Amino acid sequence: MSGVKLDSIVKCYGALEVVHSIDLDVDEKEFVVLVGPSGCGKSTTLRMIAGLEEITDGQITIDDRVVNAVAPKDRDVAMVFQNYALYPHLNVADNIAFGLRIRKESKADIKASVDEVAGILGLTDYLDRRPADLSGGQRQRVAMGRAIVRRPKVFLFDEPLSNLDAKLRTQMRAEIKRLHNRLGVTSIYVTHDQVEAMTLADRIVVMHDGDISQIGTPMELFLNPANTFVAGFLGSPPMNQVKAVIEDGKNGPVATFAGQKLQLAKLPALKGSAGREVIVGIRPEYVEIATPDVKGQVGIDVDLVETLGSEALVHGMLAGEPFVIKTESLTRFSELQNVTGFTIAPELVRVFDAETGLALPDQDRTP
Amino acid sequence: MSDASGPRKSRFPQPTRMERFVAVMKRDWQIYLMLAPMIIWFIVFLYKPMYGLQIAFKDFSIFRGVANSPWIGFEHFDTLINSDQFYRALKNTFMISMLSLCFGFPMPILLALMFNEITHQLFKRTAQTIVYLPHFISTVIIAGIVITAFSPSAGVVNNILGWFGVEPIYFLIKPEWFRPIFIGSGIWQEAGFSSIVFLAAIAGVSPSLYESAVVDGASRWQMMWKITIPCILPTIIIMLIIRIGNLLEVGFELIILLYQPATFETADVINTLIYRQGLQGAQYDLAAAAGLFNAVVAFVLVMTANTISRRYSRTSLW
Repeated sequence: MSGVKLDSIVKCYGALEVVHSIDLDVDEKEFVVLVGPSGCGKSTTLRMIAGLEEITDGQITIDDRVVNAVAPKDRDVAMVFQNYALYPHLNVADNIAFGLRIRKESKADIKASVDEVAGILGLTDYLDRRPADLSGGQRQRVAMGRAIVRRPKVFLFDEPLSNLDAKLRTQMRAEIKRLHNRLGVTSIYVTHDQVEAMTLADRIVVMHDGDISQIGTPMELFLNPANTFVAGFLGSPPMNQVKAVIEDGKNGPVATFAGQKLQLAKLPALKGSAGREVIVGIRPEYVEIATPDVKGQVGIDVDLVETLGSEALVHGMLAGEPFVIKTESLTRFSELQNVTGFTIAPELVRVFDAETGLALPDQDRTP
Repeated sequence: MSDASGPRKSRFPQPTRMERFVAVMKRDWQIYLMLAPMIIWFIVFLYKPMYGLQIAFKDFSIFRGVANSPWIGFEHFDTLINSDQFYRALKNTFMISMLSLCFGFPMPILLALMFNEITHQLFKRTAQTIVYLPHFISTVIIAGIVITAFSPSAGVVNNILGWFGVEPIYFLIKPEWFRPIFIGSGIWQEAGFSSIVFLAAIAGVSPSLYESAVVDGASRWQMMWKITIPCILPTIIIMLIIRIGNLLEVGFELIILLYQPATFETADVINTLIYRQGLQGAQYDLAAAAGLFNAVVAFVLVMTANTISRRYSRTSLW
């Protein structure tokens, strides 16, 4: 099977270890997105899979073959680069055909392959143009064409959309997903954009400081972040995080902060935990805005309301931390001017240990 | 709606061209101040002397001066065209220039490509220093080194030839050896330093092009031919146009230091002829005509090269 397996991969530059013994199994035909902030080691990991960086320790397997000592050209992978890496002196057809020419395929085969790929990517009318005469989106398509034409076992994408404007990025994102559905080739995609990760991935790998923070489907990661880093990284706006102390209440555990109380679900881990410090995670989308007449609300100091058309973001402070609420705005526009707090169902609040930042067990929700 | 027949007229008062100029000068005066020495240098040393060009069309006498010497039209050009010495100098200039272009121009490119392939940093730096060094040696010293190296009695070249039983050759008085020695020493002196431009161009090639080629399966040789050379081609063309513009400006200081009457047949070029006739023979007007001829040919050459390059490679000086 054309999967990719990373087994205890380590990368050091001199004494500096930038990737710390990571393990990852990418199944055949799967679309896996490595996501994380700059410097988290995601691009280095991708380049190690491509063979552009040597691994310091561990083992990489592609299609059940250990490729640690295999040259990039013999790994049967194709890579799409952030800056497209198109040869400026070659036209679109020659750029797409470059890899095939290097492999000395016959002229007839090259032409047939180029025409087919150009057809798939809508580049047929641009085959004679040079990269300088193309738009950003067209260049990106040529870069993908160059990868597709070789029919590799694995596609590697290194932030391929980050040079495009927002509108084109959305459009190209959909094209990449369609292409993957059509070709069914194992793909590993690196991005720092969590929206790209959420929309493209079969599974997301969140990386942080050279480690894997969490692996899962987009919805699993969105609903059940394993730690405060993942909670703060995925989602737009990200999950609100407020430090609190647990108290025993009539209906189960209660989080207290700045003199306020928030009812929590009856988690086994919180049984008899009065006095324990936790971080409560609240997704901005799960919150119900409250006006002064609503009882049982958690009050926030609202300082800004951003109206985005059908939605609105209410910004405020809660227990000294910034707090954001995302709400529908069309029918509740008048209420938005008078928000004093929020309410939320206890089972929608995610609780993390304050010391380790890890989510407490037995609170995962199914997508 | 703007008036299609003329420039758009604003309803608001706009600054005049002079006011804009003054504003720009006030804003960027430091930049113009830095530019000033170069402009002054051009005016004093390249434009002001053009006034003297008119003596190419005059019967010039230093006692009458440039302005008062009588006009004689193209007489000096007639003299030149009918002079055997001028034809010989013209032929030698073209021969030496073309040979220098053919052998000397590719050498820095080859050096830059080779330097680019060296991965051992210490070896790379040492090799670069060794090939850059001759550039900083004075032409007089270079000529001294060449004369010593090719000396029939103690020269290293004849010594080596002697090991193989070859009789000493009087290289510097044999016309057939002058051009190879001159061109070879020129390459030795300048190829290394000239390679810096191409090395800079190579450094500008995006590393991702090479990485992409590596993933595609290209060897180092293929990357050099299919990526490096095509990517630095615009730089090569620009340097070629500049070189063609200077085609007739052979390094005559080295020629003057190396040639002698025995080698005039292959060594005498337009500039040395101008030097001998103009300065040593005091025929300033004839020398000015030869110099003007030189400049006009160079101008035509650089214009032609630029036009051809712009038409066929999209790269040009202007």
